[in-house]
Amino acid sequence: MSEQNNGLNSANEDNTPHPNYWRSFESLYKNPVVIEAKAHEFKEGVTDDFSPSGLSSISRRKFIALLGASAALAGASCTDYRDKGEIVPYNVKPEEITVGKPNYYASTCTACPNACGILIKTREGRPIKVDGNPDHPVNQGKICAKGQANILNLYDPERIKSPQKNSNLAFNEISWKDLDNEVITALALAGNNEIALISHTITSPTMLKVIEEFKAKYPATKLYSYELFNDSIKNSAWRKTYGSGNFPLLKWDEAKIILSLESDFLGTEGNKVETSRMYSENRDVDNKKFTRLYCVDSSLTITGINSDYRLHVRPEAQLEFVLSLTKEIVKKGNITSTINTSAYDLNNFAKKYNLDSKILNYIVSDLIANKGKSIITAGNSLPENVHIAVNLLNDALGNKNLYRTNTSSLSLVEHSTIEEFEALVKKMNAGSVAVLINIDCNPVYHFAEDLGFKEALAKVPLSITLTERLNETSAVTNYALPLNHNFESWGDAKVRTNVISLQQPVIAPIYKTRQKESIFLTWISGKTETFTEYLYLQYLKNNWEKNIYPTLNSKISFDKFWLGALHDGNVKTSSSTVLYSSADSGSFDSSQAEITNPQGFALIIKENYSLGDGRFAHNGWLQELPHPVSKATWDNYAALSEKTCTELGLKDNDLIEISVENRKLILPVFMQAGTADNVIVVESGFGRTNSGTVASDVGFNVNSFISAKSTLSPWIYSNARITKTGDKYLVATTQEHHAFDDPLVQDLHIIRKIIQEGTVAEYLKNPSFTKENNEVHLTSVSSPYSYNGVKWGMAIDLNKCTGCGDCVVACDVENNIPVVGKDQVLKSREMQWLRIDRYYSGSPDNPKVSVQPMLCQHCDQAPCENVCPVVATTHSPDGLNQMTYNRCVGTRYCSNNCPYKVRRFNFYNFRDHFRDSYQENPILALMHNPEVTVRSRGVMEKCTFCVQRISEARADATHLKRNLKGSDVTTACQDSCGSNAIYFGDINDKESEFYKYRNHELGYYVLEELNVKPNVTYIAKLRNIHSEEV
Amino acid sequence: MNIDYSQEAPLIAGRLKLAQIEELIAQPMDTKPDRKYFIALSISVTALLIGAVSLGLTFYYGIGLWGNNQPVGWAFEIVNFVFWVGIGHAGTLISAILFLLRQKWRTGIARFAEAMTIFAVMCAGIFPAIHTGRPWMDGYLLPYPNQHGLWVNFTSPLLWDVFAVTTYFTVSLVFWYVGLIPDFGSMRDRTTSKVKKTIYSIFSLGWRHSNRHWSHYEKAYMLLAGFATPLVLSVHTIVSFDFAVSIIPGWHTTIFPPYFVAGAIFSGFAMVVTVLIFVRKIFDLQNIITIDHLEKMNKVILLTGMMVGYAYSMEFFISWYSGVQAESFLFLSRAFGPYAWAYWIMISCNVLVPQLFWFRKIRRSIPLMLIIVIFVNVGMWFERFVITVTSLNRDFLPSSWAYFTPTMYDIGLLIGSFGFFFTLVILFTKSLPVVSIAEIKAVADGAQPTHHGGANHE
Repeated sequence: MSEQNNGLNSANEDNTPHPNYWRSFESLYKNPVVIEAKAHEFKEGVTDDFSPSGLSSISRRKFIALLGASAALAGASCTDYRDKGEIVPYNVKPEEITVGKPNYYASTCTACPNACGILIKTREGRPIKVDGNPDHPVNQGKICAKGQANILNLYDPERIKSPQKNSNLAFNEISWKDLDNEVITALALAGNNEIALISHTITSPTMLKVIEEFKAKYPATKLYSYELFNDSIKNSAWRKTYGSGNFPLLKWDEAKIILSLESDFLGTEGNKVETSRMYSENRDVDNKKFTRLYCVDSSLTITGINSDYRLHVRPEAQLEFVLSLTKEIVKKGNITSTINTSAYDLNNFAKKYNLDSKILNYIVSDLIANKGKSIITAGNSLPENVHIAVNLLNDALGNKNLYRTNTSSLSLVEHSTIEEFEALVKKMNAGSVAVLINIDCNPVYHFAEDLGFKEALAKVPLSITLTERLNETSAVTNYALPLNHNFESWGDAKVRTNVISLQQPVIAPIYKTRQKESIFLTWISGKTETFTEYLYLQYLKNNWEKNIYPTLNSKISFDKFWLGALHDGNVKTSSSTVLYSSADSGSFDSSQAEITNPQGFALIIKENYSLGDGRFAHNGWLQELPHPVSKATWDNYAALSEKTCTELGLKDNDLIEISVENRKLILPVFMQAGTADNVIVVESGFGRTNSGTVASDVGFNVNSFISAKSTLSPWIYSNARITKTGDKYLVATTQEHHAFDDPLVQDLHIIRKIIQEGTVAEYLKNPSFTKENNEVHLTSVSSPYSYNGVKWGMAIDLNKCTGCGDCVVACDVENNIPVVGKDQVLKSREMQWLRIDRYYSGSPDNPKVSVQPMLCQHCDQAPCENVCPVVATTHSPDGLNQMTYNRCVGTRYCSNNCPYKVRRFNFYNFRDHFRDSYQENPILALMHNPEVTVRSRGVMEKCTFCVQRISEARADATHLKRNLKGSDVTTACQDSCGSNAIYFGDINDKESEFYKYRNHELGYYVLEELNVKPNVTYIAKLRNIHSEEV
Repeated sequence: MNIDYSQEAPLIAGRLKLAQIEELIAQPMDTKPDRKYFIALSISVTALLIGAVSLGLTFYYGIGLWGNNQPVGWAFEIVNFVFWVGIGHAGTLISAILFLLRQKWRTGIARFAEAMTIFAVMCAGIFPAIHTGRPWMDGYLLPYPNQHGLWVNFTSPLLWDVFAVTTYFTVSLVFWYVGLIPDFGSMRDRTTSKVKKTIYSIFSLGWRHSNRHWSHYEKAYMLLAGFATPLVLSVHTIVSFDFAVSIIPGWHTTIFPPYFVAGAIFSGFAMVVTVLIFVRKIFDLQNIITIDHLEKMNKVILLTGMMVGYAYSMEFFISWYSGVQAESFLFLSRAFGPYAWAYWIMISCNVLVPQLFWFRKIRRSIPLMLIIVIFVNVGMWFERFVITVTSLNRDFLPSSWAYFTPTMYDIGLLIGSFGFFFTLVILFTKSLPVVSIAEIKAVADGAQPTHHGGANHE
């Protein structure tokens, strides 16, 4: 201190009399340099860099105060205050990641054997959304509901997280090392006893190679493969008629007439994404191109509801129908057929099954008039003879023109026959199967009970299930090994002759899982240390380099080729033109062509649209996706016609016991309009057991009806019986169904012009007929706001929409929509922002069905906006009706005042409410789209037109210094729509493609007379029927 | 019948002396509550607790516990709200409008009716506050300056409600309290208990029955009556705007304001009669609340009952006459659709049953009138149910129709609101004079100078 004072006071030194203290001789003798230096506190130049303005304005005191306060606050508030877990910034930022920007990776979907190309959107390294890969030649940028919802499988909290050993009905964790050793020992000791591998369809050529190597190492290996729902019968019929190959792919987009016999080609058969696209190209108001679809089937399917004419008959009558039709066509159409059809007669057939002979005559004349431009397609479930008869009829009509020649489907491995499985079970019972490995399949649930597979499994010394989550099969096998999810795995797929798809992981395995190929490669090597994370990648790459790359005649080096192929997700291969030889007229087995008089009830088992064969039963989004026709969720049921119900004295929700031979099951009744009389339609995929929180005990396991000894086909049974139990069971539907014949409510959707329809003939004659019938003169008391910039709007072409519901799931994923559960659906509180409304008109026996995607209409004069007391819902200058969740107090007034009832209210914190907070699991937070708020209890929500995508596009446009265009944004529903029915864009952009649909002559607004000025335009549906009247 | 129309019928029967009147009215406050009182109180408190538990669970889990769904966003909570606001109307009508119209017979029942108004509005006020999805955010409904720059939406009828109901409550409370001041003075003078004396002293605001006090009081009371009068009409008009301003068929109706006001008076009078029948019996007030009072009220019920009946039929007519399909469908659906049972309960209770009041005998028969007014109470609750629920349950798009079924929590809250109301009523009867002592004295025979020599003429 004294030193400092010395310096500071040095200027006054000479004036102040005080003793001459000295510290050095220089000072004592008054060296002028030292005296001079004493006058300056700092040495020359030291303070050059000092500038008071550059200093922080925080004073020392203030700094200490802030320090203290922050310490106190940190101590007090950060202990457990809304602890959202640790957020750690990137230490070393991965090169490809820009925080806040998504990355997209091409891969292949393994949700079903169709192996569509997908594009996975990842944010900061975690996948959050799946779309179709636009570069994939088959699905062309679209993907179905199952593919969309697959993201939930990845983050499913109930995946098994490490290998499990089943001892005394309890699973214990076991290390991969111990497991590998135990299995390798057992495999080596198998000797002559069989090592059975059971798998679903194998679509990967490299996986097949792995299995072949496994066979080479363990020669007693035998591979079995199966699908619960398959086209084996159709393909074997094809081979009987044409000698080789699979049933061809069809040119749906060129067919003038389509006759579908019990076939649901727009729903469950074949690649539905591709078929929907091609079919909808054929219902095009723009090019005035319209196919005509006839359906002759037993129940209402997606195909049925889209048909122009529909007749319903029980499935056993199809053979008689095809042969009667053949006879009639031969008679009238001047063609020849080799089948002896003398016993058949179309008129008798019509009388016997009470069918409209006018429609039958239309079918005959249309098929004759459009020889070579029509197609008859029979459903996968029909018996072989029907398929052969159909093949021959198509052949005779020259419809081979519509078989695609540029590509065809191919099977790497044929499915095992029922005889092979019977032999397997016999061997298992005899103790001559040493090891049984289920590769990502669930035979205990899928196989017919009378096959005795489950009982035989107990006699196999070592049984292993490779699976993502516990299921019926893993419950009775010795080991359950956790598999990587689709998005954690490498792979390839070849299901078409013209393309091979590549599958790449987009996230490191979340748990201690391995992909099935790596597990096998480890066992082949016989050493547990063989496994590395890249084991299968190297194998796959090797296989491509050695076996696939050389066949492609690529001109670039393999490394470049490989990176390119990974980027594209697929490689197009040149395939030779498919040739169709002439049909073998003798293939039809006329010994089985007697006219039958089916008695009792016919039972038909169908694949559920969302759950498939049950492998998506644990997926809440798919469980809650309403059935496209019945709108039921969370359950299956026995669909019966109204007449059958009346005859049996049954009502909706009555529990009945259905028995086929000695196989019985109790199911609730669902009166489904349009079902053929005396037919029971049940859907598979439900009634899972031992399968986790979501899937278990939902619905009823109709696989128990399947018999290994079925006569017609595994999915159709005659002589079923119905017994009333007297009990009730509530089926949850998202749409109330009211009586058809109630004059009060009949055809309200037509009277209120919610659905506007016409016929193709009417449209061709007078393109603006809808406008002329619906003159609406509306005046507004207020002057409208003028939207000068971009104004968002949507147009939905009801000619193309099939009502499948894929868009609903796409919206669920994009917008973090919770699953609410059956109890809440029963209370009519489902949360989906987008719904598909389904309306019936006409008779309950054979109704006309109309579907309409319904979402927030973003009205210019939105009735919801002016009734909100707290201004939580407002209008944006670009025409969006917005919701501010933070401001919403939840009066629900907006929802009451919404004429479209598209608003959704969080009656609970649904994530917490569903299945004991199942959705509150932290792992599911990784799945959420970070751009969309996760809503909590008590707030209203609704469709935002994917405002987060609009914001992103706007930011990009600003960044690139250009104006935002309507075409910069696509909504999630639009991206997913397989039939391209949804258009989105700028209403003010007169140049855009969207503008054409927005102002289409067939365009209309729902409830236009309310003058709320919606921004969603619907294009009226045209039915391609023979009259001008609907 | 021998009625002398040449002079007014006496308003008070039994020729009570002024001191007797005071004695009679003050008696409940001077005596300790008896067993029956506690039985009645325990029943109503039980009902109140049922409501409290239902409400507590609702706060904890969310209003998902109720039966509300998509599309029926409003159900019991709004039905109860409108019902209780309606009940409140009788009090203000009796105390303010009848006061301005110099209807002296109102004095016997005004105090009680006013108290019921206040309690009913308190019951009603609970529901808008708890019906929101996030009741802890209800403050957002108030226009207060805040750093977010957020403001409320003055175009929303729900906000008008907030103001209408709070104003109504405030004015009613002040009006009621001002009317009580002279009685507080009397009670203060009567009581011997120190505690009571302190309380009464505070509330009597130094009332000394002086001439100046009386003249100020009369003026203030008159002004407040004038102030309260438009509120009788405005509150339910604004409540009806919640519905009428929307675009939903069945709600979007211009007849709603007068129809709601008539309905409110109808239900309010019915509730007042229901309670008064018991009060006059239990507290031995037959001479002050006479059968003539009840008969007059029954006449009002008959009149307003026919007014709502007219409104029902006019709604039907207009729905057809408008030619709007959704509108005419909705009314047919009310009468013949899934909620036809509720509609016909409403019609029979509100339109048919009150017609019995055309008969003088029935108007003056206590048991029969009790049955009828209870029917009216039930009917008016169902009227609000029909309006709220049946309009929402089948609106424009048939795809989103759904049936509303109440849950035990809905019913629990309804019971709770009755418990709350009756608990307050029961406590009121023992703590404040249920009839205005001062006003009754003023209309007693001989209290006012007359040309005929006052009360003593024979």
